[in-house]
Amino acid sequence: MDSIKFNYSSIRTEKARISVIFNKNLLMILNMLVFVLLTCGSIMVIIGSAVGWVLIGLASVPAMMTQWYHGELKHIPNAKNPKTIDDVLSGEVLGRLSKKPSPQEVATIISKLPGGFFFSVRFGIGSKFLQELASPSSDGMQQVWEMALDLQQETASKNISAAILVVSILRCAPNYQTLISHLQLDDADLIRGIEWYNHLREIIEKHRQPRRTGGVARDWSFGWTPLLNRFGMQMGSDSVFQLVAQNDSLNQLMGIFSKNGRQNVVLVGQSGAGKTEIVESFASVLLDAKAKVPKNLRFRQVYSLDAASLIAAAPDRGGLEQLIPQVLGEAYDAKNIIICLDNAQLFFEDSIGSVDITNVLLPILKAGNLRMILTVDEQKFLEISKRNPELANALNRIVVPPANRDETIKIMQDQTIMIEFKNNVTFMYQALVEAYRLGDRYVHDQAMPGKAIKLMESSANYSDNGLVSAESVRQAIEKTLDIKVSVATDTDEREKLLNLEELIHGRMINQVRAVSVVSDALRRARAGVRNLNRPIGTFLFLGPTGVGKTELAKSLAEIYFKGEDRIIRIDMNEYVGADDVNRLIADGADNANSLTARVMKQPFSVVLLDEIEKAHTNVMSTLLQMLDEGILRDIKNREVSFRDAIIVATSNAGADRIREYIDRGYDIEQFEDKFVDELISSNQFRPEFLNRFDEIVMFRPLNKTELLKVVDLMINSVNKTLALQKVSVKVADEAKEYLVEAGYDPRLGARPMRRVVQRAVENTVAKQMLSGTVEPGSIVEISLKQVKQIIDSKLTADKIVEEGKST
Amino acid sequence: MVYYRANGYNSDMFLVGILSWWYGKGWVDQIQAIKDRLASSADFFSVGQLASTIFAPYRQISAGKVSGPIGVQLRAFLDRTISRFVGAGVRIFMIIFGLIAMLLQIIFGLLVIVIWPVIPLLTVIGLIMMVIGWVPKWIV
Repeated sequence: MDSIKFNYSSIRTEKARISVIFNKNLLMILNMLVFVLLTCGSIMVIIGSAVGWVLIGLASVPAMMTQWYHGELKHIPNAKNPKTIDDVLSGEVLGRLSKKPSPQEVATIISKLPGGFFFSVRFGIGSKFLQELASPSSDGMQQVWEMALDLQQETASKNISAAILVVSILRCAPNYQTLISHLQLDDADLIRGIEWYNHLREIIEKHRQPRRTGGVARDWSFGWTPLLNRFGMQMGSDSVFQLVAQNDSLNQLMGIFSKNGRQNVVLVGQSGAGKTEIVESFASVLLDAKAKVPKNLRFRQVYSLDAASLIAAAPDRGGLEQLIPQVLGEAYDAKNIIICLDNAQLFFEDSIGSVDITNVLLPILKAGNLRMILTVDEQKFLEISKRNPELANALNRIVVPPANRDETIKIMQDQTIMIEFKNNVTFMYQALVEAYRLGDRYVHDQAMPGKAIKLMESSANYSDNGLVSAESVRQAIEKTLDIKVSVATDTDEREKLLNLEELIHGRMINQVRAVSVVSDALRRARAGVRNLNRPIGTFLFLGPTGVGKTELAKSLAEIYFKGEDRIIRIDMNEYVGADDVNRLIADGADNANSLTARVMKQPFSVVLLDEIEKAHTNVMSTLLQMLDEGILRDIKNREVSFRDAIIVATSNAGADRIREYIDRGYDIEQFEDKFVDELISSNQFRPEFLNRFDEIVMFRPLNKTELLKVVDLMINSVNKTLALQKVSVKVADEAKEYLVEAGYDPRLGARPMRRVVQRAVENTVAKQMLSGTVEPGSIVEISLKQVKQIIDSKLTADKIVEEGKST
Repeated sequence: MVYYRANGYNSDMFLVGILSWWYGKGWVDQIQAIKDRLASSADFFSVGQLASTIFAPYRQISAGKVSGPIGVQLRAFLDRTISRFVGAGVRIFMIIFGLIAMLLQIIFGLLVIVIWPVIPLLTVIGLIMMVIGWVPKWIV
């Protein structure tokens, strides 16, 4: 192109302006006019009036206009040797431009065109937004044209469409990156948007063209297949789309069938990887007379056998063993049939809905005369191969890998057409990306693109006014798969995170350093500065019993994940054997309480590994990858993500040493490193295990003053319980001191004190309520005397403490 | 003189545009349209395929290999021969039918191509016909 100028008077521009006049209404009027003039003229001529000739002649004018519109104006082709920008602008835009257009004028024009409408609905780039963004001065057009030309080349678009101009105007905005990041998009997404728009136009164009299928001769030269029509279904006959991924697998399939050799193929891949789609696409290509297909495959038809109807029709195994050869024999005689056994494991194992007919199929597969395609889940294929190596050797194997991100997004874009049509919704691009992200992370029973498509289909039910957004996808995964993925994003939560220490100390006394270390980690995670390929935080809490380790974990669950129930607690003293690893990573179907099964279901959680030091070395080794990469493979080798979890391991190891250091007047910071070295040298923990944690947090024993505050917290907790009865409790200061004296045990920390407080306070209140001295709205004051009556001696308290130890 | 309408298009361009397309690309496109229609019919009637499989057993009836005594084999051969003749009959009929249909299509297409350049003149022709006053006479 010589220069990026807009020529308002070029022939192409003139034609484009004329084409704009031809709207739907005008075309309808012109067609009606042709019909009326021809009919009236003909009738008049028939009844003997020569005026009829004029009417017939006049009918040619509107007829020529419609012909011209459909033949040239509707899709004005680009100029052969483009010299100015108008030579490559799409007709619909070109015809609406003024002599000296400004970016703002272009924004107004394109927002009414399909390309602009596409970006408005699919990407949330509305017309007002675009108009406000665009410059009102025509000087800004040069930059927009330049950008549009670059985009046309980058996306290999036929012309500069409204879709390209949307992105072009956006790119010219001074704060472009900030703007699109607000829409949760990046530059590559917008390029994909243009490609998606172009692809949709191509599909529409392709759909309008007549399909060549081989005609009557195709059917007449091949046999009748009444049995096959009953027990099978023809594949590829309705397929409009081309395979956008896994073309390698399709080419391999074509290659095997076009050469001599065993005419069978097994497609092996995870469920959802697109095996059936490959067969559908293969079948569709064979049926297309225009496609480049080897001669021996031309017009072959692929039939998928329906295992359920075959089993239903045969009374027993014997019956099925007779029926299958009949059906396959018919396919062989017809000479143009390729049999597909979708989910072929149904024919090779005895189970509900499946019958093992290996003895019937193996000779046919080994002979390789009848063309057959099998699709099998990779795990099932391994099982079948192990059981029957002969069968596996008789098959030509094609491995179908899961689709990558770009392929999956393209497949999803194709799938939207059908899903939108069925559910009467429209998908935003952000919804597709979110479906990929969440599917990849939280759907474990399928491969890509299957899991993303599954999520898309579910999201259609959670649309907002027919629009499926990223939020709809999040709702779908939460409600259909019961996986909590929405972490609050409101300002309330930000406030909470900024004041995290204060909030935690509302539930916990002291442990300032521990709380601060954990709070910093959470703030890093929330601000998005953490490593996304690791858990949110991994902490090892060390310290004596009853100093607040579990309480801190609970506080994190409450504050970060909005509920104390968002804690997955595993007592590691139940995993002391080498074989207990299997229990830890068991499949959810066998053991719903395994660590992996619980995290699969609730990935946004605090994972509390209590008394970690008691776990077997094998168990600890298994946990290394979880701590390091946020991944743990379950017994079925599925990746379970811990990247949205906070992992807290607690241990009492070296509790006496901590107490000793504190008694000697050390601060935690002073002996921290030395203490960790001691843990390693005493073989309580391996260094590689300790190194995996973000922070090793030490909890120090509580002193009497702190314990008094703990008593206050406990009384508050009792008051919360009593709030239902509209009663509250107030404990005298000397009574609190007595409770601390009676309930504190240096080895058990504050834990037995909870029982002492509960017994003293709750018993007193219960007695008073039963005696009728307490009425709703009153405050129960508990004195030292009353506490002493309940816990009449230190001995009683000791008993309570002992109970605590034994439990 | 160039005259611009309210919506911005050049009125001269309208006339020049439509006529230049009509006697240029529009006319050529009609040839392409005939070709497309013929290709579609050729696909439906699949004459080439019918011709290449003319003696194939009709719908593969009695087409399979038969083993056994000579009597059975002879019977199978006879059945297959009948099937081939039935097939050949049906196919020849379809080839002829298809060829006639396509020939008619060609004739119609050629007629369109011939009439095409006359269409812009129809208004004038209509006026002339009115002035002449000729109308077909219907003999009852």
